[in-house]
Amino acid sequence: MQYAKVYAEDVQVGSEMPPLVKPPIEQIQLTRYAGASGDFNPIHQDATFAKAAGMGDVFAHGMLSMGFVAQSVTDWFGVGTVRKVGVRFAALVRLGDVVTCRGKVVAKRPSKDGDGPSLVDLELWAENQKGEKVITGKATAALISRG
Amino acid sequence: MPIQINTSVKGKEYAPYRVSVERGKIKEFARAIGDLSPLYLDDAVAAAGPWGDIIAPPTFPITFRDEGADTGVLLRDLGVDIGRILHGEQEFEHFKPIRPGQTYLCRNRVTDIYEKAGKSGPMAFVIRETTVTDADNDIVAVMRGTTVVRL
Repeated sequence: MQYAKVYAEDVQVGSEMPPLVKPPIEQIQLTRYAGASGDFNPIHQDATFAKAAGMGDVFAHGMLSMGFVAQSVTDWFGVGTVRKVGVRFAALVRLGDVVTCRGKVVAKRPSKDGDGPSLVDLELWAENQKGEKVITGKATAALISRG
Repeated sequence: MPIQINTSVKGKEYAPYRVSVERGKIKEFARAIGDLSPLYLDDAVAAAGPWGDIIAPPTFPITFRDEGADTGVLLRDLGVDIGRILHGEQEFEHFKPIRPGQTYLCRNRVTDIYEKAGKSGPMAFVIRETTVTDADNDIVAVMRGTTVVRL
């Protein structure tokens, strides 16, 4: 169930993910993400609504930033390798923010049956252009051996 | 004066619902994130790939919504206005690829509700878990989300 870009032998504990730098957040991306995801909360679209709700201005869907984080893993390891990904939304992402996703390998485990893919645990985070963490999280990916 | 929420929603299971995954929705979702992998977007490339077709990105199951079990229903059950909520945490576990043309069954329940003092005042944390199964009754994905309510 994977399309290997990186094999289990290619990463060790401490290996760092190539950073994924996303373009600055624009309103149109939040509108596209609303349509694509079905999350039409006006707090991501309507500055008047967001101000009235005490949030100052619109901000990005947390799930959009989580999509970036998941992409950072699949860009590195390959599509279909993610077994688990979990995040905490630590700070709001605003219009104009540049989100950079980073991560590193914290554990590598052989498959239980000895024959399947190795499981690689990652610590992940995303930061804005000021270096503030907007997401912290972890993932587990399944990587096959070169064989 | 903090608002009160209806904590009796804890443990509530919503009516199971089916979703059919459309090829175009997978592509629209990947493009909205700006993830342009051909294994999500290009039918021909994906046909020659490991699954013989495109698959969905890891966070795609967040689109598995139903009017009878969505955040709007949860907010009505809790007695909370949409302007008060934030997404606190989210997790996906994947067991099988999510493919276009497949129909999945989603079971969604509220697993926990608790209140805590936050930096900017009292907050409630509402945890929901959705289990996604396929036509073979295999679990394809499980998602767990925490909605934060500013009380």
